[in-house]
Amino acid sequence: MKDLSINVCGVKFPNPFMLSSSAVSNTAEMIARGFEKGFGGVSYKSLGRPTMNPSPRMHAYSYGSKRLVGLQNVEQITDRPIEDNLSDIRWLKKHYPDNVVMVSIMGFSKEQWRELAVMVEDTGADMIELNFSCPHMSVEGAGMKVGQAFELVREFTHIVRESVKIPIFAKLTANVTDITEPAMYAKQGGADGITAINTVRGLTGIGLDDFVPYPNIFGKGAISGYSGHCIKPISLKCIVELAKKKELGLPLAGCGGIETWIDAVEFLLAGASLVQMTTSVIKYGQRVVEDMIEGLSYYMEEKGFNKIEEIVGKALPNICETSEFDLSRQGVANYDLDRCIGCGRCYIACHDTGADAIQWDSEKRRPILDEDKCFSCMICSFVCPVSDPPLITFKEVKGKKVYLPPPAK
Amino acid sequence: MTKKEFGYSERGFELFQAINEADRCLLCYDAPCTKACPADVDPAKFIRKLRLKNIKGAIKTVKENNILGGICGIVCPVDKLCEEACANTEIDRPIEIGKIQSFLIEYGWQIGFNPITRAKEKNIKVAVVGSGPAGLTCAAELSKEGYDVTVFEENDKPGGVLRYGIPRFKLDEDFLDREIQDVLSLGVKIKCNFPLKEKGSIENLLNEGFKAVFVGCGLTEPYKADIPGANLKNVTTAREFLRAFNTNEKTVEMVRNKNVAIIGGGSVAMNVGVTCKLLKANRVYCIALESMEELPADRADLHEAIDNCVIIKPQSQVKEIIGKDGVVTGVRGSEVELIEPGVFTPSNIKEIPGTDFSLQVDMVIFAIGSGPSPEIKDALPSVKFNERGLIEVDEKTLETSIKGIYAGGDIANGPGLVVEAVRDGKKAARSIIKFLNEEIQ
Repeated sequence: MKDLSINVCGVKFPNPFMLSSSAVSNTAEMIARGFEKGFGGVSYKSLGRPTMNPSPRMHAYSYGSKRLVGLQNVEQITDRPIEDNLSDIRWLKKHYPDNVVMVSIMGFSKEQWRELAVMVEDTGADMIELNFSCPHMSVEGAGMKVGQAFELVREFTHIVRESVKIPIFAKLTANVTDITEPAMYAKQGGADGITAINTVRGLTGIGLDDFVPYPNIFGKGAISGYSGHCIKPISLKCIVELAKKKELGLPLAGCGGIETWIDAVEFLLAGASLVQMTTSVIKYGQRVVEDMIEGLSYYMEEKGFNKIEEIVGKALPNICETSEFDLSRQGVANYDLDRCIGCGRCYIACHDTGADAIQWDSEKRRPILDEDKCFSCMICSFVCPVSDPPLITFKEVKGKKVYLPPPAK
Repeated sequence: MTKKEFGYSERGFELFQAINEADRCLLCYDAPCTKACPADVDPAKFIRKLRLKNIKGAIKTVKENNILGGICGIVCPVDKLCEEACANTEIDRPIEIGKIQSFLIEYGWQIGFNPITRAKEKNIKVAVVGSGPAGLTCAAELSKEGYDVTVFEENDKPGGVLRYGIPRFKLDEDFLDREIQDVLSLGVKIKCNFPLKEKGSIENLLNEGFKAVFVGCGLTEPYKADIPGANLKNVTTAREFLRAFNTNEKTVEMVRNKNVAIIGGGSVAMNVGVTCKLLKANRVYCIALESMEELPADRADLHEAIDNCVIIKPQSQVKEIIGKDGVVTGVRGSEVELIEPGVFTPSNIKEIPGTDFSLQVDMVIFAIGSGPSPEIKDALPSVKFNERGLIEVDEKTLETSIKGIYAGGDIANGPGLVVEAVRDGKKAARSIIKFLNEEIQ
């Protein structure tokens, strides 16, 4: 097994995998079980002012036979008494000194940000995470509303920075035009790192009989935090944006849709040093981390990496603006027809949505591709069921001219 | 006995299972499953509709294309039709099309959705002879168009082979009754206990106010091999046996703890074998001329028989049924091979010396098919029959040699599938509608 440890802001993490601040980090006993399973750290569920949760508080988003590809929730910050939580955090640090306990806080006034930070530092917690990003707080002036008012991000970060010595991560929302802006404000306020992202504002559906959105809370629903594997493309791009922002230069904790070691590696490649997760734990249980640890370790072995740091940000040089592409090189879809099963999905796709470059041989039940017409949208390969290995792959054709469909006759 | 009473039946799909199954479908272009369906039920379309959560649309597709769609989903040999054609077979297992199809129909009943409606009343009478799958389908198709259809059925309940020839553990009687109800709800009248066997009785319908007649009376005369002992007590046929099983509780006692020899290697033979085992028969043999690979039974039916410990004796011929005091006590036979491969006629069969066998059995059941009822020629004296005793029809229109009289299903084709009878019912209905439109103009 490879050494998966990583040092972030002077704190040593046994591995980059963390339970994020949410339902999965609600109590010490639950978190302790997560540590036993292999999680390197936790972002303890946000402390703040007393609150109550709506009932029910979550709704699963499913796709076809795939259950829970996304999750909408209206859960609030912790509803447990502050003393109980502080006691739990102390208990965790006492029993799991090698695991990292980051504690999320959410103040509702300058004074409260200070008080919460000081109380957390007193417990012996390793780090503080500032929740500027919960998209569904039932009171104004907190959560995402702060994350969208950049001056407040700087101000509250600054207050916490003045009050405690332990490292501070600011957890940001993707519900802004450019996530690097609030990140810069957080840095100016004294943040040591950025966690991105919290849940994305979404609505998973509306009841067709009662016209009430999900989750249906006694006849009412609300736009609220949407998470899970389906938001990975959004969270991954946020990490890339933050990592490529040279002026920022802070360590990043990636969060949003991480379910397998492959997702985790992608976040590391994109520049994150830590990865946090909730929805995958909700979906599969804490045991997901076993497969992340093993998967990551085998990957490092295969690729010859010895430290996590060697992976962090490795993809960034290859991530550019769309204007930087080399348009002089073109290609086509390349068919391995020996393995074709004759479903004709490529034909439908190309005919209805692509270059109309395929003719259908109904006798043999095989596609006949006109390579001159193919403009390599590759949609055919996305719908082809023979995917392991893919029957349809991209192939560069030297000197290929881009096909432009002629006007209708 | 119903499927449930046997504790036997494979469970059908629930909605989420059906949608999950539809989720596996590749949604082929010019789909092979659809091409493989004799009755044009269009599985590709109803599966796509289900996949896109258009559940009512999916039910409508099945029901519009096949008024007996639920039954066909259960009894069709899908492994030789749509599911064999399924492109998914090449990368995985085929989509369970039959199960999806019968689910959709049952689900429609559950939610009270009936997609089939009747057109404006036409006040034109059409007669249908026989209420098997061909007759019921033809009647329903005509009734949808507003014709006044009367079905004449010789038995006391409608359904024909569906009721009397398919064991209950395969097709639940409640399910059958419910789907026949769909036909009746279109305004079709079924007159049971109404045999048409007298001289000219079917042809005369044209003189009794009916403008057209469809004959779908099936093959009702079961064959017995002409071997010594065939007339002993406890020698019966699959048809008589299944009829007794489906209608008479006492059948249970007939085979309990007995040894049974079934002669035949088709699906019916296998079904009878399983039925005997379910009725607690002791040893049950299926004795067939064909080799194991050549058995005409559906693979599913064959496996079901094997799973139920039916003993299959392929490449074997029963030469004599032995009896004592007029009652069966055993069979004698020998193993055989074919002189010319693939031809299963008695003259092409050669005994293998030294392979004689004898089995102690208490009952012999012939499952070697059925022929036309001897009275059908009397009932249709002017209609042309072929050398097999089947009604001659125009392949395209299913019209017989007599204008206005049509025939389809087994009585025209010889032994076939339920879904092929459905196809004929649809085809004949289209021809009858065309004929009547032309007649009126």
